[in-house]
Amino acid sequence: MIWLGSDRRWWIVFVAPSLTMLLVFTVAPIAAAAVLSFYRWDLLTSPEYVGLGNFIELAGDDGFRAALVHTLTFIAGYVPSVMVIGLVLALLLNRRSRLSGVSRVVFFMPVVAAWVAVALMWKWMLNSRFGVVNWVLSLVGVEGPAWLFERGWAMASVIGVSVWKDAGFVMILFLAGLAAIPAEHREAAFVDGANPWQAFWRVTFPLLTPVVLLVLIILMINSFQVFEQVWILTEGGPLGSTTVVVERIVKNAFSFGRMGYAAAMSWVLFAFIFSVTVLQTRFQKRWVHYGA
Amino acid sequence: MVFPFVWSFSTSLQTTETLLHVPPQLIPKSPSLDAYRELMEVMPFARMVINSTIVTVVVVVLQVVTSALAGYGIARFRFRGRHALLLLYLGTMMVPFQVTIVPLFIGMSRLGWLNTLHALILPMVASAFGVFLFRQYFMQMPRELEEAAALDGAGPWRTFWSVAFPYARPAAATFGILAFMAAWNSFLWPLFVARDESSMTLPVGLASLHGRYQTDWNLVMAGSVIAVVPVIIVFAVIQRHISAGLLLGGVAK
Amino acid sequence: MKTTRRLWVLLSVLVLVAAACSTDDTTDTTTTQTATTTEAPGGAGTETTTTEPPPSEEPTTIRYFTFSAAPDNLDALDAMIVAFEAENPDVKVEVETAPFDNYFTLLQTQVAGNDAPDAFELNFENFVTFATKGTLADLGPFTSADTGFDGEAYYQPAFDAFAVGGTQYGLPASYSTVMLFYNQDIFDAAGIDYPTDDWTWAEERATAEAIAATGDNVWGFFAGVHYWEFYKAAWQNGCEFFGADGSVQVNEPGCVEALQFMIDYVNDGVQPTAAEMGGVSDGDMFLNGELGMITTGIWMFSGFEGADFTWDVVVEPGNTRGGSHFFANGVAVSAASDADKQEAAYRWLRFFTSSDEAAKIRVAASWELPTLTDASLYDGYLAIEPPANREAVLASLENVVVPPVIERQAEMQDALNGLIERALSGEMTAQEALDQAKAEIEALL
Repeated sequence: MIWLGSDRRWWIVFVAPSLTMLLVFTVAPIAAAAVLSFYRWDLLTSPEYVGLGNFIELAGDDGFRAALVHTLTFIAGYVPSVMVIGLVLALLLNRRSRLSGVSRVVFFMPVVAAWVAVALMWKWMLNSRFGVVNWVLSLVGVEGPAWLFERGWAMASVIGVSVWKDAGFVMILFLAGLAAIPAEHREAAFVDGANPWQAFWRVTFPLLTPVVLLVLIILMINSFQVFEQVWILTEGGPLGSTTVVVERIVKNAFSFGRMGYAAAMSWVLFAFIFSVTVLQTRFQKRWVHYGA
Repeated sequence: MVFPFVWSFSTSLQTTETLLHVPPQLIPKSPSLDAYRELMEVMPFARMVINSTIVTVVVVVLQVVTSALAGYGIARFRFRGRHALLLLYLGTMMVPFQVTIVPLFIGMSRLGWLNTLHALILPMVASAFGVFLFRQYFMQMPRELEEAAALDGAGPWRTFWSVAFPYARPAAATFGILAFMAAWNSFLWPLFVARDESSMTLPVGLASLHGRYQTDWNLVMAGSVIAVVPVIIVFAVIQRHISAGLLLGGVAK
Repeated sequence: MKTTRRLWVLLSVLVLVAAACSTDDTTDTTTTQTATTTEAPGGAGTETTTTEPPPSEEPTTIRYFTFSAAPDNLDALDAMIVAFEAENPDVKVEVETAPFDNYFTLLQTQVAGNDAPDAFELNFENFVTFATKGTLADLGPFTSADTGFDGEAYYQPAFDAFAVGGTQYGLPASYSTVMLFYNQDIFDAAGIDYPTDDWTWAEERATAEAIAATGDNVWGFFAGVHYWEFYKAAWQNGCEFFGADGSVQVNEPGCVEALQFMIDYVNDGVQPTAAEMGGVSDGDMFLNGELGMITTGIWMFSGFEGADFTWDVVVEPGNTRGGSHFFANGVAVSAASDADKQEAAYRWLRFFTSSDEAAKIRVAASWELPTLTDASLYDGYLAIEPPANREAVLASLENVVVPPVIERQAEMQDALNGLIERALSGEMTAQEALDQAKAEIEALL
């Protein structure tokens, strides 16, 4: 039903609460951040207009560039791993008509738990002296590294823990995608003599591509904003090898008192997220198949 | 998947003496609740549980209600600027929260709201994602349902509450659990605005506990267990009503 | 059901209205407060000092913001306030606290929001930033009008530290220092002589090596490899970050040698690496009997009380000269407060920093130490054991090092810590790291 006549003006009542809150607490701060990024402001003295100064400084800021590279490294490791593992889990569980309540809870425990709590749990398990991970490794004769204190392992650990946390979420989205694929399609493939592997690649996967794209977009947007796990697990170390963009924003705004500079950084982060999302939707025609 | 949780729970039952030992004890030889007791002494953990609960409940209810209303408004009314409005919501979804954090923080400090619960609640009320999800859901709702109500003389307001909102229960449950997770686990924003113990929420309290008692892992794990258990229980109870398919639909548009 | 729905609608409307109203409020307060800021700070204050306001008048309430009182010393602070208010019935002190990690961010935002507390605590490093940015009131007019004020009563290096360009912007309140702690049981077992107050680096290093050689899970020594230890080690080796003309000298030979000396402890296996510590804090390692010696602050006295071995302290050894940390906390008055509040705040700060009552409460609570020269105040403190050689705390005051401070302090510390870590990892030599440090610090000036 579409409300017409004298009832039509009611739309304002329906939209107003959400819209007002959006304007006051999201749109206005976004606009303010845009303005702020052209100022230098330490909170103690009045803001000073510096034009593009913050952005120019940012272009030459090695710490920021390193953080950007680390963020991209994280994405390169995390996104493919969590997608593959999530998809494999979904395919394994898809056999059953419906996931039982218990297994849903089991797979979702890491997803629903707070990042802070999860990161602390892993920090303890990965402890180089008393951690259970290295103890288990020692049982099979391997001397485990100091996971979070060694340059080669710190980012890998952050990625591994993140994959563990999010695999269940990716799985559930893929399961929903698989459930939407009519069984006849796969059966038709089997009739043609395809083995399960071929059936997956020829029939299931193409039909799943819209979901793959969605999952990819969500994961990319989220992983550009990676922060909490790093903040707890490594605090950006060792040797600054796990500093990430959000951590730089936080540090500049709240430790260095550089509000304008931090705002400029957040715009650069937005630019990255925006262009990656646009690129993904632009290139979707090459590989995403809509409709059965 | 479950092992880290089991391990944390086991650690939380250890005493400081048995904690730093190789090999570690999976099942504590002499389990004790000392860590939980100490936790309550060194930090107002009960206060933090209450804060987290208040913030989460209020945020979830307000998010669900305002999003359902707006989603219905956009789906069922034809007004000028409807498409612009949708675009506005879509646009804000693309902007990472970090962009708004500095101005929001300054705004909150000007209002004198630092270390209060409104600072934690108000910025979280509007959810663009929620509006999309509900709009999608209401778009595919059979119109006959509302028409029957309208024939009985119900206006849009009453029709929404008596027909549309009950119909959208699966959407509300699915979105509600996401909102619940986000609110209960939220860290970055509370890290800035809830810095004293009267307004601190669990994740921030947990991080500060870790900062102060770096090596008392039994204490830190006890805190983690307290932070994690409620959200798992809520999920276990509500999970039957959650539809991931719906989620895909909400994201798709 | 219906009532609940209505309630929710009502609630959301209320919330919206509240948000809208408060937004209006701010604009108002902002403008009024800006107007007050332009008033000459402290100008009218001198008058009020001498005239006792009639007791019937409403007391002036001042807000005092502190990090060092919470959470352990709030009782001591309350006792001081009770004593102060008994003497000054026309002033009421309201305490606000925040943990150190968040304190300066909150203080900054309060200043930015024109909502600064009337009096607040500042550590020396941040004091300079706040003083040079015009957020602190000049205390000169107050002290000169106050016959009871005696600048000489303060420990002079601390008193001078809270002045910028000859203007006194703060009063020193308390300090703590760093000592060399040692585990006597480990020394006894190895048959090695205890450290003394006049040790030098060479003796410290040789002894640490001897202890490290005694067992697999024992290290000889621990000192943090970071900015705080580095500027002090550099000083002990005759090198300062900044020359008298303000030039950056952080890559001079004396500084490079000091950094190398610190790093070698770790590289030579005398001090545990971060990986070997595995997230166990240095203090806990000392308590576990894994460290022969540790360089840490007197704030660890209470933490080490329960150790199951005997321990003691000595003044830290120097190389070309002695040098002990002097971490001073001071207190200051907001430049933005009204004149009468500033005057009341000044009176509270003078009481807090220099009165016998406050000093006695502070010493009894072991809440750092008062920065006063009157030795009798320390009697009770020095009697407590362990450590047996508590007098070394006072002896360490003979050669103190204050942190090198610039306006962009946090960034300088961050940059130096990163480079020191690089040097420690062997990715850069000490010389390369400090050459780069010089360039980075110069860019921050």
